[in-house]
Amino acid sequence: MTTLDPTVEGALPETEAAGRGNHPPGTFRVCATTGLTVDLAAEKFIKINAVFAVVFLLLGGIAALLLALTRWSAVHLLNAEWYYRMTTFHGLNMLILWILFMEIGILYFAATALLKSRLASVKAGWAGFACMAVGAIMLDAVILAGKADVMMTSYVPLRAHPTFYLAIILVAVGTLIGVINFLATVYIAKRDKTYSGSVPLVVFGAITAAIIAVSTLLHGAGIMIPTFLWSIDVIDHVDPAAYRLVWWGLGHQSQQVNVAAMVSVWYLLGTLTVGAKVLNQGVSRTAFLLYILFINLASAHHLLVDPGVSAGWKIWNTSYAMYLAVLASMIHGYTVPAAVEVALRKQGHTKGLFGWLGAAPWKNPGFSGFFLSLLIFGFIGGITGVTLGTEQINIIAHNTLRIPGHFHATVVGGTSLAFMALAYYVVPLIFRREFPLRWMCRAQPYVFAAGIVLMSLGMSFAGSYGVSRRSWDVEASGALHPVSYDPSVHVWLGVLGIGGSLAFVGLLMFVVPTVLAVFFGKRVEAKMPAW
Amino acid sequence: MTKEEKSGDLIEKESEHRGDGLHHAPGTFTLTLILLVSFVVYYFANWKALADVWHVR
Repeated sequence: MTTLDPTVEGALPETEAAGRGNHPPGTFRVCATTGLTVDLAAEKFIKINAVFAVVFLLLGGIAALLLALTRWSAVHLLNAEWYYRMTTFHGLNMLILWILFMEIGILYFAATALLKSRLASVKAGWAGFACMAVGAIMLDAVILAGKADVMMTSYVPLRAHPTFYLAIILVAVGTLIGVINFLATVYIAKRDKTYSGSVPLVVFGAITAAIIAVSTLLHGAGIMIPTFLWSIDVIDHVDPAAYRLVWWGLGHQSQQVNVAAMVSVWYLLGTLTVGAKVLNQGVSRTAFLLYILFINLASAHHLLVDPGVSAGWKIWNTSYAMYLAVLASMIHGYTVPAAVEVALRKQGHTKGLFGWLGAAPWKNPGFSGFFLSLLIFGFIGGITGVTLGTEQINIIAHNTLRIPGHFHATVVGGTSLAFMALAYYVVPLIFRREFPLRWMCRAQPYVFAAGIVLMSLGMSFAGSYGVSRRSWDVEASGALHPVSYDPSVHVWLGVLGIGGSLAFVGLLMFVVPTVLAVFFGKRVEAKMPAW
Repeated sequence: MTKEEKSGDLIEKESEHRGDGLHHAPGTFTLTLILLVSFVVYYFANWKALADVWHVR
């Protein structure tokens, strides 16, 4: 890496400095590996958001291991109270905190480095981060104190301590400030003409994620503020059906923010790892537009057994609108690997149908993580998602373990693995630290992916026999009506437990080298060492 | 990606790149067909499962 600060050795010549967007002198550096302009203020926020993200990933991962060892009926580790506490803790740390902190880092990177722009507001950056950090710490504290055993969905009339709702509102407000700061940065980049033509596709994807995030956070405010007021007895009633309807505008859309961010990361890693170029700008941008227009409607599939909404409403949203959002994922699911294939074929890897795939840089965890994420998201998450979202089929799957079997393939095998793959570039390029234990980094995506696939299949097959998604006691002992399952469900629950444990090992294989690199890693002085 | 062509340059020039028009990606096309067949099998297996537990008389 080099810097434009003339006091620092290796400064770039003045002529090169003149062509660097809207940065005041001394406020940026140029990455020697990628040639990207890195805004120094944005870099701080990318770093601090990434560090917090990894901390929450680890916390959520520990909870995940405990849950996997509880759902594994032969082990059944936690008692009921701690099982539901850890389910709440795991869901919020993984689905909200790890993802949101990482996404804010990605948004700041996309708007500043890819558009050669300064960050719109450093003060807003700190304000947003402070809200998110304080909210996140409050949230984890109130859950661990045993005052919010309401699961991630916190369906009313389940009632948590007011701090729980306040903490979620704080995280949401902080995220909203970050998103607005991102959009403001995109605006000033456009105003200052720091780039020519359209924004790059990765930034377009990030803008998509930001727009969906605004809608998500408004839904969150719309339901969490009244629920907070209910928790402190200012209002006496929150309608459960209305709560579910609006909450899923938060709960499902937030996962679509992940999808848009994940797809952007796929495009970015395709370029960083093999030099892939987008095949068709119009097609890929239209696909992102479909996410914005239809993804919220698709959240209706969470309400397919709710009595408060009509069959016509359910069928329109899940059997028509949802497919347009699925179409978007199918387009990206084709264009991303096709761009990789075209790039590798141009490099001479033209043997047979899959010679390019064999010649791909599988030892590079940035590539293997990204490509495995794409395969798991498409083959397991995509196929199960479309099927489970069908109004009629949903009746045999709703609230069974098949549902977490699906979304662990999309959010963990897809989004989390893609974000981990991105970290193998973020740490050397942004933190400017070399990864130690490189053999571990190279193996990590495979171990994590294998664990998630096993866990997801275990959940899906156990759920196919009717095992419920959230119950601590699979056998429902003491119930008025005895519940019995085919004995084979215990084999699948064992697969779930083994897969979950393996995925936790994969998570540690990510966290340990990353923490060692960030705090003790050898400084990257010039170009990033090739993977 | 050539040594001279950094990924940052690729991203910057990307919006000028309107695509190759006819790209050659038979491997990805085959992967897509495998995905489609997997989906068809899984989807209809689920309809069959639904029909087995929810009889229409």
